[in-house]
Amino acid sequence: MSLLTIENVTKRFGGLTAVDNVSMEIKEGEIVGLIGPNGAGKTTLMNLIAGTFNPEEGKIVFDGHDITKLEPFQVCRRGVSRTYQIPRPFPDMTALMNVGVGVLCGKKRPNMSLVDGMLDASHCLEFVGLFGKRNILARDLSLFELRALELARALATTPRLILIDEVMAGLNQAEGRVAIRLIEKIIEEFHVTILWIEHVMKIIMEATQRVVVLHYGEIISSGLPGEIANDPQVIEAYLGEKIA
Amino acid sequence: MDAIQSILVYTVVLGSLYLLIALGFSLICGVLGIFNLGYGATFLVAIYGMWMLLSTIGVNLWVAIIGVFILQFLFTLGIIYFPIVKRYMEKEELLLTSLLLVSLIVEETVNHFYPVTAGVDIPTAIFSHTLQLGSVSIPAQMLIVIIAAVLITAFFVYFLMKTRIGFKIRAISQQLEASRLLGVRVERVYALAMILSVVPPTICMLIIAPIWAIEPNMGHSLLQTAILVTILGGLGNLRGTVMASFIVGLIASSVAFLGNPRLVGMSILLVVFFVMIFKPQGIAKSETLW
Amino acid sequence: MVRIEHKRALMVFRFGDKKFEWPIETRYWRNPILGIGLLALLPIVFSGRPDALSLIATANIYACIAIPLAWQMTGIGRLNFGPQAFVGIGGFIAALASVHFGWGPWATLPFAILGGLFFGFIFSPLTNIAKGLYFSLITLIIPLIFLEITYYFSIFKGETGLYGIAPLVNVSSIKAEYIITGYMALIMMVIFLFVVVKVFDSRIGLYSAAINDDEEVANNLGLNIKRWKIISFVITSTMVAVAGWFAAHYFGTFSGVTYLQLPFMLKILLMVMIGGRGDVYGAVYGAYFVVILEKALTVVGLAHYILFPLILLILLFALKEGIYGLYRMHRYREYYPTIRVRKR
Repeated sequence: MSLLTIENVTKRFGGLTAVDNVSMEIKEGEIVGLIGPNGAGKTTLMNLIAGTFNPEEGKIVFDGHDITKLEPFQVCRRGVSRTYQIPRPFPDMTALMNVGVGVLCGKKRPNMSLVDGMLDASHCLEFVGLFGKRNILARDLSLFELRALELARALATTPRLILIDEVMAGLNQAEGRVAIRLIEKIIEEFHVTILWIEHVMKIIMEATQRVVVLHYGEIISSGLPGEIANDPQVIEAYLGEKIA
Repeated sequence: MDAIQSILVYTVVLGSLYLLIALGFSLICGVLGIFNLGYGATFLVAIYGMWMLLSTIGVNLWVAIIGVFILQFLFTLGIIYFPIVKRYMEKEELLLTSLLLVSLIVEETVNHFYPVTAGVDIPTAIFSHTLQLGSVSIPAQMLIVIIAAVLITAFFVYFLMKTRIGFKIRAISQQLEASRLLGVRVERVYALAMILSVVPPTICMLIIAPIWAIEPNMGHSLLQTAILVTILGGLGNLRGTVMASFIVGLIASSVAFLGNPRLVGMSILLVVFFVMIFKPQGIAKSETLW
Repeated sequence: MVRIEHKRALMVFRFGDKKFEWPIETRYWRNPILGIGLLALLPIVFSGRPDALSLIATANIYACIAIPLAWQMTGIGRLNFGPQAFVGIGGFIAALASVHFGWGPWATLPFAILGGLFFGFIFSPLTNIAKGLYFSLITLIIPLIFLEITYYFSIFKGETGLYGIAPLVNVSSIKAEYIITGYMALIMMVIFLFVVVKVFDSRIGLYSAAINDDEEVANNLGLNIKRWKIISFVITSTMVAVAGWFAAHYFGTFSGVTYLQLPFMLKILLMVMIGGRGDVYGAVYGAYFVVILEKALTVVGLAHYILFPLILLILLFALKEGIYGLYRMHRYREYYPTIRVRKR
């Protein structure tokens, strides 16, 4: 049963076609990696799914519902949540309040009190290991902590699909390993489906079950991580023609 | 026919006037990316600084003209730029409030020493007669306004497009951080832009003072005009500002001659209001200065 | 032996070996009650001086404008430069209805509220269309247009203003009237304060904070930002309109020249800034401070017109977080908003 279906989606910015006639399908419980060179349209595709942009053509179906034209908050309430490539916390709020927004807004919970919401939020913070920093303003957190905070915030909305945009960027090896373990823990605990953009090939190869390669807005290859690594088209896209 | 003639003449006259009023404001908006709400005080410093030099200190006209420019530069750098703009560049709410406060202080100071009842008489009139253009008569001094507007705009465009410093100013207006990294001394260029920005209002006030009603609270309406023209022109684009000045001039003169002169202010405000809602970039895009 | 110690967020009083602690925290109910109690004493203390009573009432009316603005600033994530437009709407509705139909204040109040709601809805799409500086500029223009309208249509009596508006209460003694209206102003202020504090303590406060910090992210987290911005804008605008209604009936005259021009806007803005940006209690401090300072400076004669803005400018320089910020330095920081104007 496919959770997310993207059918012939196209998005243009002026003369530039950022995402060109892309179709893909993500099954429930799958962990899909999305790779491609810089400017390949990965983040644009993510914005299209999350509802930040609306595609010019095509259709996005999530869990049997057409979400193509929905606003971001409606998409989120259906169960899609995301993180950002450059972390975007609410800088003037504490870590706990940051996650609290996700708890109280993510699903329609008109009867949940602020206190209950904050309690749920602190569970989420505990899960990502930030409970000790709950009262620190988000602007004072380190990059790694911000990434964890974004994951906690994404979890707080009780998603079925999480769109992860580059967890590793800017982290050192040790932090990166912790981040990867965190995501594995999230998958184990919450059984969520994940669409994962990453630049570090090694992680994609190890952590994902299927990889989609985007180049100039088009899908040039898709398959098991092992197959992708040897696909001449992919190598060409990444390293140029000569080496291929 | 007469109405059309009047509208045409007044579009040119008012357009040049609005251009002189708004040019400095627009330059600041384009280069520094801020709204200089202390701009209204510039007009007061020009007129009353001149009047102070002439009447209270008693120097002759040419010394006073040079003196007023020096005063103006001191005011804009010493009171507007270094203590406020430079300090609150990133905190816009404080910037705007304190700039408004400064203009209020200047206004009240002027009002205290030269109340409106005392009167101001600045002898910078070159022509004192009125000029007959077909069926329209305008003060001949207005011709100087038109000439000054053309010359100053030409100077600004030449300066920004052809000189080295102009190139730096344009670089900053487009890519602040990149130009900082490339070694442009941003603070100096900002200070220069602030100095340049007070030249048109000072010249404008010197020309217009003999034929206008001068009062200490004139700064508000002039600032308002400058804001409206700049918004319409795309927040700091000089080409847009030139076009916007004449569009506003056209609106003002046609409403005055075809409708009711009392509707002029409202109609300009309404046009700018709807332009801001439906085309917030204004006439020209503000990414470039020209 | 009495000793008073000032610890972090605590005042400790020691009488011999007995110890009393007094948390200086607004979330404890005692401080606001204490403050309001003090303000409530003022009209009695100054009962013999009509000028002081009118000053206190003015401060309360200004606070009634500044309190909703504190909510509005965060609730829509933009700085409104034209709150006085809604003072004008409420005031002119009250004034016109009272002058032309001879209505009393309680008959005009519903119409002032309706007018505030109506124009709030009309202008509320701006909170979604215009961002940052553009919003500030558009809202700067709205009251100016309104002012031109009051000049053009003779019904508004643009230059002189409307006068002869029905007073708030009808009592024979002028002294009693001053005291009663003074308390009415205080009661209105307390109601506004109560409402906005309750809103900030509820989940709407959290939503407002999220919208102010990053509305795009808030939207992606499932918050219907358009709806909440419109709700915040409409409610706060209506509250400001009610303050205008009160001002019209309190002073008996209402003119666009007084309320719709830049200096009045500047005064309100300064109350919010000097009190403490985006802070409810700070708005009250700011309003009282600005009004009393303006009055106190009249002792120096005509120069007070220069001194008043000068002192405010110096205060703006010196107090980074406003007067209320001095008090906040001693306590654990909760949400303290950054006001964003530029944000393109």
